[in-house]
Amino acid sequence: MTALLAELPALPLHEAGKYVAGAYVVLFAMVLVYVAIMAIRQSKLERDLGELLAREQRLADGEQSEPSGSSAPEPAAARPGGTTAGAGTAPSERESTLA
Amino acid sequence: MYGKGLRALSISTVVVMAVALGLVFFWVPLEADQGFLQKIFYVHVPLAIVSLCGFIAGGLFAIQHLRTREQKWDFRSYVAIHMSLIFGLATLITGSIWAKGSWGHWWEWSEPTLVSFLIVFLLYATYQPLRFAIEDPERQSRYASVFAITAGAFVPLNFIAVRSSTAFVHPRVLGATSNLPWQMSLTFLVSLLGMTLLFTTLCKYELTVKHTRAQLRALKRLAERREGKATASLPARGRSAAPRLQATAMRAHTPEARAR
Repeated sequence: MTALLAELPALPLHEAGKYVAGAYVVLFAMVLVYVAIMAIRQSKLERDLGELLAREQRLADGEQSEPSGSSAPEPAAARPGGTTAGAGTAPSERESTLA
Repeated sequence: MYGKGLRALSISTVVVMAVALGLVFFWVPLEADQGFLQKIFYVHVPLAIVSLCGFIAGGLFAIQHLRTREQKWDFRSYVAIHMSLIFGLATLITGSIWAKGSWGHWWEWSEPTLVSFLIVFLLYATYQPLRFAIEDPERQSRYASVFAITAGAFVPLNFIAVRSSTAFVHPRVLGATSNLPWQMSLTFLVSLLGMTLLFTTLCKYELTVKHTRAQLRALKRLAERREGKATASLPARGRSAAPRLQATAMRAHTPEARAR
């Protein structure tokens, strides 16, 4: 790598260097900002998906504990006792469903 | 749906951009007149070309939307124009930096190329407020399509008018009178390819994220309905400039649709 860099011609970073660097930095800064915005959106999607998964888990647990024959399961949080998570639910999931 | 081939596209974008940068800074010879400053040309001109082509593509997608009434075309038109605006802003900034280095001024009001690009940029800057001002999604997409077509037709007309103008000081590097050495032409073409790939990749990212969000929203509604809650408990989407993707878009992912 060092040998390759030594072979490459030196960049004439004199007067014009700052303008050229500025132009390229602007482009890459804009791409970086865009990617950061995309990452924020992605994390929000992930959070929403987690909430949806927790809700589905709660529903599935409710269906399991309900006697067979009932068509519309009552939301688990509304039941007396208030425990929403089933035996197999991880503590973190339990917390999120209770929340 | 929109995310198909995104990984390959992203990798090729990074590779081509890296090759372009390598060519620009370590291979292509210095230009005799402008010297090192001319290196801005390899980022500024491709940005401008891709941006203007993106505006035209937005207009073409809008034509498809008005012809077919399919929401996906309005969605594509919106994303193409949105991305072109970002690229247009980068063009204006890099152009200003070049002007400062070359002419000693950040902006030259008597220069038709600069001012015409600014006019196109400002014209498209009204696209988002126009969409935001219309609440009804049907009308919003229809009016936005009409705007995208009209403005899209203005872009090449504006370009031709400026090229025909004689009193210009903006350097003309492409065209019949161009005598770029082959190394510069090759580097320019690689940079243009890299910029086109970057534009396409970012558009695809935007389309994928927006589509995924619409799907997730539809799933939430379905879950709410299944739980027996009123759908009103999920807050309705407020006014937005972005096209409203209906849950019908999800039909493409159902097992029945896949079997077809």
